[in-house]
Parts: sequence; structure tokens; C-alpha cells
Amino acid sequence: MSESSPHLVVRGVSKRYGPTTVLDHIDLTIRRGELVTLLGPSGCGKTTLLRAIAGLAQPDAGKVELAGRDITNVPPHKRNVGVVFQSYALFPHLTVAGNVAFGLKVRGTAKREIDTAVERALSLVKLGHLASRRISALSGGQQQRVALARAIAVEPDVLLFDEALSALDRKLREEMQVELRRLLQDVNATAIFVTHDQDEALTMSDRVAVMNKGRIEQLAEPRELYLRPASLFALNFVGLSTRIHGTVLAASDGKVDVETKVGRLSALGNFQAGSPVIVAARPEQLRLGEQGEANSAAGRVRSVVFQGSRTLVEVDAGAGESLLAELSGRDGAIPRVHDEIRLSWPVTETFAFPMEALG
Amino acid sequence: MMTRAAIIVCWVMAIGLALFLLVPLLVIAAASFSPTPVFDLPLTGASTRWYGRIGRLDGFWPSLLLSLQIALFSTAISLVCGTLAAIAIARGKLPGAGIFATALVSPLMMPGLVLGIALLQGFRAVGFTAPWATLLVAHLVITLPYVARTMIAGLSRFDFTLIEAARTLGCTYPGSVLRVMVPALAPSFLIAGIFSFLASFDNYPVSIFLADVRTKTLPIRMLQYIEEAPDPTLAALSTLILLGTVILLFVSDRVVGLHRMAGTSD
Ligand SMILES: Nc1ncnc2c1ncn2[C@@H]1O[C@H](COP(=O)(O)OP(=O)(O)OP(=O)(O)O)[C@@H](O)[C@H]1O
Ligand SMILES: [Mg+2]
Repeated sequence: MSESSPHLVVRGVSKRYGPTTVLDHIDLTIRRGELVTLLGPSGCGKTTLLRAIAGLAQPDAGKVELAGRDITNVPPHKRNVGVVFQSYALFPHLTVAGNVAFGLKVRGTAKREIDTAVERALSLVKLGHLASRRISALSGGQQQRVALARAIAVEPDVLLFDEALSALDRKLREEMQVELRRLLQDVNATAIFVTHDQDEALTMSDRVAVMNKGRIEQLAEPRELYLRPASLFALNFVGLSTRIHGTVLAASDGKVDVETKVGRLSALGNFQAGSPVIVAARPEQLRLGEQGEANSAAGRVRSVVFQGSRTLVEVDAGAGESLLAELSGRDGAIPRVHDEIRLSWPVTETFAFPMEALG
Repeated sequence: MMTRAAIIVCWVMAIGLALFLLVPLLVIAAASFSPTPVFDLPLTGASTRWYGRIGRLDGFWPSLLLSLQIALFSTAISLVCGTLAAIAIARGKLPGAGIFATALVSPLMMPGLVLGIALLQGFRAVGFTAPWATLLVAHLVITLPYVARTMIAGLSRFDFTLIEAARTLGCTYPGSVLRVMVPALAPSFLIAGIFSFLASFDNYPVSIFLADVRTKTLPIRMLQYIEEAPDPTLAALSTLILLGTVILLFVSDRVVGLHRMAGTSD
């Protein structure tokens, strides 16, 4: 199968639990070898979508296709899907090797093949030396690796990770993110990660699907997601931003002029005059001082937070609005709290979103 | 932080209690080897003749057989029914699961005498008088709570994601239950089975109301012996039962580990 042909296709999948719609016509197409993250707040339906793909939850409507076959009505044990659960779900009565061999054993694979497959999977996750350990005698990080080895040993068509790293402490988690990504690329696995950690999403994936209330709001590469958020929700969920309320004064081919309480601003967006909007910009776009054509606003510094390579400056612009700037010390002096300053940022990095879409 | 004195008091307490529990057992074992019909300390020799007499006790074999049958059958039925009930309580989101659970284990808290009289009256009222069957049903009431309690505890610690994991790895649903849930719950099954068996095997207060002249369980028979002829034969029998229990526990410990059965560690 070619690299770019669709490998996993989710088409119009919906799921209701009682009166609540948990999945609302989800469409998602993933290429072979792609690593995709589902990112969204608690309760938005991420786990339910994974379970629908794995066959553990039956969707009310829609289709799931995997590796060219329709698996919508195929039971989980025939789907060839690998799942790494948040709790790892390792079998306590089996050893490390026993856990990894489980999937192959139930498939009736020959003993010799099982042994080599187990050995290979364990060496991939660097646990070859612990093959005969009991599960209860492993650390959290080691258990995570066993769960991964168990899932990849059966060579599934797609690997699903439900917050698989969230139980690890931060340092280990960050190491695992990088290592896991490399490992999955090495074996050319197609994988979906579920997380509500934006850093994890940006680090691990080729594309990120931002989910909200059972819908996918945006499916994009991490960079595009950050630079060109498709909705206010996506903007809020990934990264920091300055957001200012206003009303559109005039609009012309993809650009709007907006009247706000901190002055007149220009932004990218298509709106009719009179629409209430929110104007937003990423903090690293804001600079100290005035710049020709750029947007600008003034205010009094409320807080200065030093974060190593960068410094976050929050400015009270009056009328309940605030500006957030990320300054790198190189650009000049860092202001102090209570200083009166002016910040400016390019119009091409300013976006307008409809006001009512918040939430 | 506990002070030294408190630690010493606790140790003395623990050792004292252990002795208090074990000494009577040692005395009865010693008495079973007494050379004379009247047991006297210090022993003046040892004899195994009382062991030889056990089998010749009047009505011993039918009673032993009856007790073993009732204990085995009630344990087997309780394991199946109790486990299913425990799954419903631990898993099903049925309203009032807590009330069911309490009702299921309530016979544990009931005095055996009350239970015995209640069952006798109840069986009479519905015309159910076959002695063997009434004993079995009564012993189910005794053994079910042990099984239900142990299995509810075991299931509440069981992670049902394990079954989902097995399914995604290629196991059918029944296969997953068999390969994952049953082994994970094996210690619970074993301890439920042992407790249930022992509770039935040594039950007196309930059985006494339902036994008749020809259908007497071993504990009833033993009490009758001690009234008729208090010689060390009974001590010998008790020692054998004790030995059987110890072997049962020892083997179970080898299989799953007593600490796992007691639920004190994994
Ligand atoms: N079996 C179920 N029965 C009823 N409601 C359910 C069931 N499973 C999930 N839900 C509901 O569906 C919604 C989405 O749940 P889901 O587990 O998919 O969220 P999630 O995005 O994974 O959240 P989290 O980040 O907290 O894990 C929630 O409101 C949840 O209460
Ligand atoms: Mg979830």
C-alpha cells in the first residue's frame, strides 16, 4: 500500500449515551505511517472515539475502515488494532514475556515464532533483560514499555494510545515522548494518541486533531495549528494568546478593521461590518514600541514572568483588556512591573474569530 | 512514632494471643496420643490406638460421607451462584446494589441458632422435609455469604480493562474471561472455596435442627460421641481434621500464596 493512501478512515461516526451526544459526526482520515493526536478537554469524546475504532464501543452511526476493509461491524478481536491503555492493563498473573506473548498465543502462532517476536518487541522497548519479571515488580515506566511491547508484538494495523504517558512523572514523560515517536517511526506504525496535554500533542504527532464537544474542530500539522488556529477554541487550547473583544468596522478581502477598547486594530478574517469578534495574536508576535503599519496598544505592565529563554509580560491595557507578550531579552530591555509601555504586532499575525464560538 | 514501651506491649499481646489460640490445639493433639483412656499430663508414653478406633465409631463413615457431600456440593453451588451474584453487584449499575450485597452476606452476622430455627420453620411451612436436601439448602445459606463476600472484594479489585485489553489482542469475550479474569480471580476462588467448605463442614447450630436419626452430620455425631464415651478417640479425630485443614491451607499457599488469599499484598 502506498504511503499516502488512506489507512484508517472514520466516516460520520456518531455515538450517544442517553441524552448526551458524545461523538458528533466525526470524520478522520489517517495515512499509513502517520502519527495523529486527539487533543481536547476532559469529556470531549477522545476515549470514546478510540474505543469506537478498537471496537470496544459500537457507534450509533458511521463507518470505520482500516487497511482497506470495513471494520464497522467486526468484533474487537478480529480488528487487528493495538491499544495501550492509560492504566496499562497488564495481566498480573503473567510475566513480562507472558504479557507480550499473549496476543500471539491466542492467534495460535507457533512457539518459535512467538519467542522471536517477543524478544524483538522487548528489545525495541529496551526491556529484554526483564523478560521473566513479574508485572508487580516493575516501575511505572517499565510497565508502560511492556504495554507498548505487548501492543506492537502482534503487528497491528493501527496503534491506539489512551493517555498512555499521563501516569508517568514529567521528566520521564518528556523522555518517553521523544523515544516513543522515534520507535513508532522506526517500525512505520500508524498511531493515534489521546491526550489533553498540548505539549505532548505538538511533540509526538504529524497531525493534531483538536476535539471539542464530540467534534473535531481542526485537524492540522502542529505548526499550522499553532500559527493558524481555525477557531477560538483551537487558539485557546494550544498555546497562549492575547485576546481582545471588538466590533468589525469595515471588511475587505480577508481583512477586517476592528474597533476595540484599546484602539483600532486590523486582523485577518471574513466578517460583515458590525459583527462582534475577538481579535487574537500569539505572544511572541508582540514587540516593545511602535512599528509602522502594525497593530499597537498601550498599557501598564501587570506582571513579568521570567522563563529562561523568554520572558512573559502581561500588560493591563485598560477597560478589562490585557495583552500578553513574550519577549526575548535580545530585543532590548525587559520592562518592569508598573512601567507604561506600548506593544505592537503585525497585522498578518492577527486573527479575528466570531465572538459566540467561545467555549 | 510509637514508643518502645508501646511496641513491647504490642509484641507481648501478639505472642500471647497466638499462644492462646494455638495451645488448645496442641493439647488436643497431645491427648490423641494418650496411652490411657483418661488424658493426664504429663504423658506417660504414646499410643496410636485411638486413631485405629475412629473408623469403628458407631455411624462414623456415613456421617463423614454426609458432611463431605454437603460441604462439597454447597461449596460448588455457592461458587457458581455467588460469583455470578458478585459480578452483578460489583459490575452492574443496578440501583440498590449495596442493599443486595448486604442481604447476601447478612447470614454471616446472624446467630446460627436463629438461622437454624428459621430454616426449620420455613421448610416445614412449605412441606420441604427431605433431610439430605434440606441440609444442602441450609448449608447454601451458610456458604453463599462467604463466597459472595470474597468474590465481591476480589471483583472490586479486578480491573475490567484487562478484559478489553485481551479482546483487542485477539481474544473473544468468553476467551478473555477465561484467560484473564479467571486466573486473576483464582486466589479469590480458592479462599472462597476453602472458607465455604470449612464453614459447611464444621457447622453444628444450623444442622442440628435439620438432621434426623439417619442423617447426622459429623459435628453432630461427634458431640454425641463425647456425651456417650469421652475417650481420646475424639481427640484423634479432631487432630486428623486439624491436619487435613493444615494440609489444605499449605497446598493453597503453595498455589497462590496465603498473603494473596488474605488480600494483604499482591
Ligand atoms: N459508558 C458510558 N456511559 C455513559 N456515558 C459515557 C460512557 N462513556 C463515556 N461517557 C460520557 O461520554 C463523554 C465523553 O467521554 P470520553 O471518555 O470519551 O471523554 P474523554 O475525552 O476521553 O475525556 P477524558 O480526557 O476525561 O478522558 C463524557 O461526558 C462521559 O461521561
Ligand atoms: Mg479519556
